Amino acid sequence: MTANGKQEQLRLGFLTAIELPDKGFIGGLLVTNHCGRPLEFQCTVPVRPNSTQEILYGPTLSAFILGELIGATLVEKAGVKPQLILTDREQILELRNHISQPVALVESNSQRDNDAASKQTTLGRQIIRFHPAHSDDESTVSRDSRQIPTDADLQEPFERVREALQETLRSGALR
Amino acid sequence: MSGPDTESLVIPEPVEPEVTALGPLPDEGSADRGVEIYASGINGALHRIPKVRCVTLPLLSLDLSLVPWRPTWPRIKTISLTFPAGLEFLPPKRSDRVDQPHAEFVSVKVPSEAGAVGEAAAEKPAPEKRATRVKPPAEAISIEDRLFYLLQPPLETWLKGQELIMPFEPFPYQYEGIAWLFSQKAALLADEMGLGKTMQTITAIRLLLRAGQARRILLICPKPLIPNWQREFKAWAEELPVVTVEGDSARRQMLWTMPGVTILLANYELLVRDMEAFGEAPPQFDLMILDEAQRVKNRDSRTATTARNVPRKRSWALTGTPIENRPEELASLYEFMEIIPPRATPDLRQLTTLAKKFILRRTKDRVMKDLPPRLDRDEYLELAPAQRLAYDAAEKDGVVQLDAMGESISIQHVFELVLRLKQITNFDPLTGESAKLERVEADMEEIAECGGKAILFSQWTACIDWLQQKLARFNPLIYHGKVPNHKREPILKQFKDDPKANLLMMSYGTGAVGLNLQFAGYVFLFDRWWNPAIEDQAINRAHRIGQKSQVIVTKFISKDTIEERINRVLDEKRRLFAAVLGEGDATNVSLSLNAAEIFGLFDLKARHGKGTRTIGPEAPAA
Repeated sequence: MTANGKQEQLRLGFLTAIELPDKGFIGGLLVTNHCGRPLEFQCTVPVRPNSTQEILYGPTLSAFILGELIGATLVEKAGVKPQLILTDREQILELRNHISQPVALVESNSQRDNDAASKQTTLGRQIIRFHPAHSDDESTVSRDSRQIPTDADLQEPFERVREALQETLRSGALR
Repeated sequence: MSGPDTESLVIPEPVEPEVTALGPLPDEGSADRGVEIYASGINGALHRIPKVRCVTLPLLSLDLSLVPWRPTWPRIKTISLTFPAGLEFLPPKRSDRVDQPHAEFVSVKVPSEAGAVGEAAAEKPAPEKRATRVKPPAEAISIEDRLFYLLQPPLETWLKGQELIMPFEPFPYQYEGIAWLFSQKAALLADEMGLGKTMQTITAIRLLLRAGQARRILLICPKPLIPNWQREFKAWAEELPVVTVEGDSARRQMLWTMPGVTILLANYELLVRDMEAFGEAPPQFDLMILDEAQRVKNRDSRTATTARNVPRKRSWALTGTPIENRPEELASLYEFMEIIPPRATPDLRQLTTLAKKFILRRTKDRVMKDLPPRLDRDEYLELAPAQRLAYDAAEKDGVVQLDAMGESISIQHVFELVLRLKQITNFDPLTGESAKLERVEADMEEIAECGGKAILFSQWTACIDWLQQKLARFNPLIYHGKVPNHKREPILKQFKDDPKANLLMMSYGTGAVGLNLQFAGYVFLFDRWWNPAIEDQAINRAHRIGQKSQVIVTKFISKDTIEERINRVLDEKRRLFAAVLGEGDATNVSLSLNAAEIFGLFDLKARHGKGTRTIGPEAPAA
């Protein structure tokens, strides 16, 4: 609650990335209000590891690039700070180890069945999953998440982010 | 082996070099200094015998210098876009409002393998609904502008959220119209009457305000439509404050410039009058909307000029009939929309090209598959005997008089005769006989019997007043230009709510546009307007969204009269007209008669070379 008694509106961050052939990754963060209306958008220039990095990071490379490099940079630079960061890429969950806000993976329907073993919670129409090392996140988010309509489609904003990334690429602004 | 600190390095004593003297031997003095000077002048100091001594030096470290590699990455550059803060409005207070259910975390059972299929089916999310996305307009070039539109949520989500409550679910084509309007700086929404231009406009306004794209909006409409817009705003966007420009001059001046006003509603007449008073410093708006925008089709008119001079960032025009007479009329609308330079005269090809970009037009046939059908029947009636006598006499005398006028005959003379004859086809002024009245009475008996409601249109208020007496047993209500404004809304309300009010009689001029009378299932066109587009507007008061049953439209045509001849000419023109706005869309084109055609009705020839001048009354102004 704010000082004037009004409940503070929940700000969601939708963070995803696309991989470009031979160019690495570009990431985008769309900060919206609880109804999905955009408040701020950030995207990175392409981030490409060199061959030494590829060898040294091995299988942890994409989690490092997506979570620690791209994710942390986008959250750090955001003027409107999201209170909950949602992603549709599992590697981005790594971001949680580098920021203080909760990060949750929005499961696709196919993931949903595969990840049956792990604990799952619902938000809007989707199932979300938190970083296993930050189990307190669920209770932290639970209170504010009441603002999100039960029929909200939390996969949809990622489509917007991907479209925006493609549009930005086409425009040449990321060169 | 001892460590490097204790190790010594002995530098061996160098061997005394043998010096071969090439020059004279050094003298004594030189020998004292230990320096030999050769005859060649070379300083013999180089030849000085070094003093050798032993020193102990530490050994060089065997620790190899390592080159550390740290995984450093360059700082990642980002591109940022902050969305403008929109206006926040208090939600309307509704006692019966049921709050939307909100999400809470719910633990979900891990589906067992055996029950996976059944439970997964039970937990399946609701079926995906169609998503209408806002597209960046073609003229949006900067990446910021394009991203602004691309990142807006689908309208279905936006309008379903807690921020914007919609009283009814819009149709898919309406979502498209709203998204299109939202992204356009210049737009002509030309949907056929009855498809919900008002709702689409109001919703697009809501979104613009929410998205911080507009803060001050001016909406101009014909005077009789002011209550309609007020009502529609209340229905579709109750939270939006709408101020209507009215009252005396001082009050209006205050309203035009009052800060904090979000939506200003004014009629065309007041726009012209009040803007002139502002002179060089008219008030500014983020968005200006002209409803029934065909009112500015004449680019030289005061209305058109005044509308163009209002400073604004966005210009929208709404009309169901963007072209009433000639495709060139579009140019005036384009000029208002600021998509052609002032006084530009685009040709047909350019008009069509611009139409694709800046006009959105849908017809009922294409989008409203579910709208109940409209059944048109042309009712050819024999005149009553007294009517026939009166009609034949009037036509004969009239034609004789016209012939006698010779070269001095004008279109106006012919036109007056047409009007006189048309009036007789309605009823004989001497005897009151009327074939049309008899048919209306017969139909109304049935309609009233089953509690139906009908609308009757006529060109003449005198005819409507005459009919009111004749049809008194059906409690007819009157709605035409002579009815004071403050009485009009109650009349419409009574027609809607009073089960005994079965008939509403309206003039084309007052009742043809903007009204929502979709609870009426019958429409009578007691006499015919000159332009089927206007007739369609009238019919669409009833045949529009919300209509639950079919609408039966009866068009009266008196046999062997001027009405039949006019109808034939108009039908022929309808077939020949090449619509600018798309194949098969002939609902908006002008079929008004020109002078040659009017003369042709009486087998007269147009004089004075004015054969292409259009005659007829002005299109019904509200």
